[in-house]
Amino acid sequence: MPFNAIPSKDFVNREADIDYLKQLAASGKGAVAGNILLEAARGMGKTELLKQLYRILFWEDRGVVPFYYSFRRSALKANHFAKDYFNRFIRQYLAYVKRDPSLAENMSAPLARLVPVMYSLKLKWMIDLVDDFQEHLWNDDPQAQAVGAISAPLTAAARGGNTVLIMFDDFHMANQLYETSPGDVSGPISLFDDSINTSLCPHIMTGSPEGLLESIFTDKSFRGKAERMFIGPLPEDVAHSLFSSLCERLGIRDNRELSLKFMNFLGGNPLYIMNMVNSLRKMQKKEITERDLWECYSFEVSQGETFFYWSSVLGEFVGTAGGRRMAAEILIQYTRSDADMPEAGMLSRVLGVRESSLMPVLDAVSISGMMQPASSESKDYVLNDFIHSLHMREVEGVKRERARELIQSKYFPAGGAASCFEMIIPMIADAELVASKAVEQIGRNMNLSSEVTEQIQLAIIESCINAMEHSGSYDKRIFLKFSVQRERLEIIIESPGKFFKPGTDETLDIEKQLSSDNKRGWGFKLMRRIMDDVRIERLADRTRVILTKNIKPDEVLNESD
Amino acid sequence: MKATNFKVISRLAGDVVVLYPQGYLNNLAGESLVSKCNSYLSQGIKKVVLNFSGTDFINSIGISLLLHIMEGLKEGGGVLCFTNLSKVHSDTFEMLGLTNHMLVFGDEEEAFRYFDSGSSS
Repeated sequence: MPFNAIPSKDFVNREADIDYLKQLAASGKGAVAGNILLEAARGMGKTELLKQLYRILFWEDRGVVPFYYSFRRSALKANHFAKDYFNRFIRQYLAYVKRDPSLAENMSAPLARLVPVMYSLKLKWMIDLVDDFQEHLWNDDPQAQAVGAISAPLTAAARGGNTVLIMFDDFHMANQLYETSPGDVSGPISLFDDSINTSLCPHIMTGSPEGLLESIFTDKSFRGKAERMFIGPLPEDVAHSLFSSLCERLGIRDNRELSLKFMNFLGGNPLYIMNMVNSLRKMQKKEITERDLWECYSFEVSQGETFFYWSSVLGEFVGTAGGRRMAAEILIQYTRSDADMPEAGMLSRVLGVRESSLMPVLDAVSISGMMQPASSESKDYVLNDFIHSLHMREVEGVKRERARELIQSKYFPAGGAASCFEMIIPMIADAELVASKAVEQIGRNMNLSSEVTEQIQLAIIESCINAMEHSGSYDKRIFLKFSVQRERLEIIIESPGKFFKPGTDETLDIEKQLSSDNKRGWGFKLMRRIMDDVRIERLADRTRVILTKNIKPDEVLNESD
Repeated sequence: MKATNFKVISRLAGDVVVLYPQGYLNNLAGESLVSKCNSYLSQGIKKVVLNFSGTDFINSIGISLLLHIMEGLKEGGGVLCFTNLSKVHSDTFEMLGLTNHMLVFGDEEEAFRYFDSGSSS
């Protein structure tokens, strides 16, 4: 829906683009052809730009009726599309006139119920329009229905006296409209000829990949009918200021030097930036370290919003599970190739599949805009890592958490030159002693004094019993990782289930505790006093506690001790 | 430090009972210690020494149960002494600010001398 735009203050560095589009909306003459073809890489904010413009036209600039329509795979059958398109247009028009977004958002009530509203607003022509469309429905003629729906904004502009600005999101999908089964209509995009050629309604159209949309507009019926407008990535400083302000709002302390470098890596893509901040929030990060950034990043591309974003993009083009696996194989081959993709015959031999099975998926993947060879100059590293993660999950059968770890280790090897130990303990009585035994040996390896080792043992016991008490999960296991460096010991304790976060009140009111019935609640206080740092984070469905101990010289035994 | 299965040994010396919590002091162990202590209290023994020489780790649930024992004795007009605390035990109590509320002695003899001196009554 067009009303679910992000707050305008978070939509940075696009003011000039919005102004330009507003001009087009106001006169229809500001642009060369009265129509704009909005081009950008995925995630750069094309949809958001349309929504922001919609909001401005709806609430601030009066006189131009905004109409936003996003093409969807689920509504490509001509009669479904026609009903959906017509319905949305009528509701958005009424919402604009009444300044009531709920009219556009509530799609459940039949249009007939809105006739009294149309009547009260003196929109007699709209009642006629609804009646005409109803007749098309009765006649059961999908083509007439589609034409009737597409021409509705034009009729509204001619009879209502207001310019209607039509915003088509993912317009490339209009070329996939069909009557009874996909591909049964030749050149369905031509249904939009009249709409795009009229001066009554300027259009702004987005689509991905740009190449596909562009090919539509170089076709003879549309040639010269639209001006191209590019949306580039955010410049480094703007990207950083967006990241930083989002972090600040969520109480996350930014580290300028680190995040600037990271913004570069994200290629100034606002979607990636916002997803990253969201991930930092979900994982309860409060201060940004290099490890935090790579950890959240690896989460994002393996199981976070960014993963789901690219996954749904792929789903638009490749529908079946088998096709998806093959797509993952094709994409990974492409990311590994320095030159052009091997031709289909060779690829079918490399992948061990018949060329006839490969071709439809290869075609689908190539129009998805997800292929980027290793040699590409403006490489999208995030997409690249998504592809690796997808391949690990779909083809190699790697579990998502492991995929995350592998991606993280590519950028941030755990603990630098640290030795790492991992163990899993069951949530049963005294299992925490097994973990504590591991600490005892690690302490011995590190030559720590027994007092220090015993304290750390106690801290891990506390963390484990806390996990057992609060998890509530059917997966009764605790995952432990010990990362050992000469001057630092880090222990990560992860438990599935409910997220648990203790209060931040660290004051110890012993008198109160002694006289109270509940004498519990010492665990985290104890851990915080023993360790140098205790962090609690949320990682997917797990609670993660990170205990860090910086080893001081006097805590290590000398050889002679 | 070795963590062994928990048991409580007790020794009655006149009107003083000495309890030896052995092993890992956690929830179940702590409860058995509380119950042992209560059974002596009900017999009129109000001077209790907890000798930790055989105690391994005391986790936070164990600590909370020790507080229950302290409270129970205080309410019943009894006295509780802690002895033979290892470094990690005393550090733990210290860290949590509990030592100001406990009577801690190096060993049993010191605790007995304290009782003999009459300071406890």
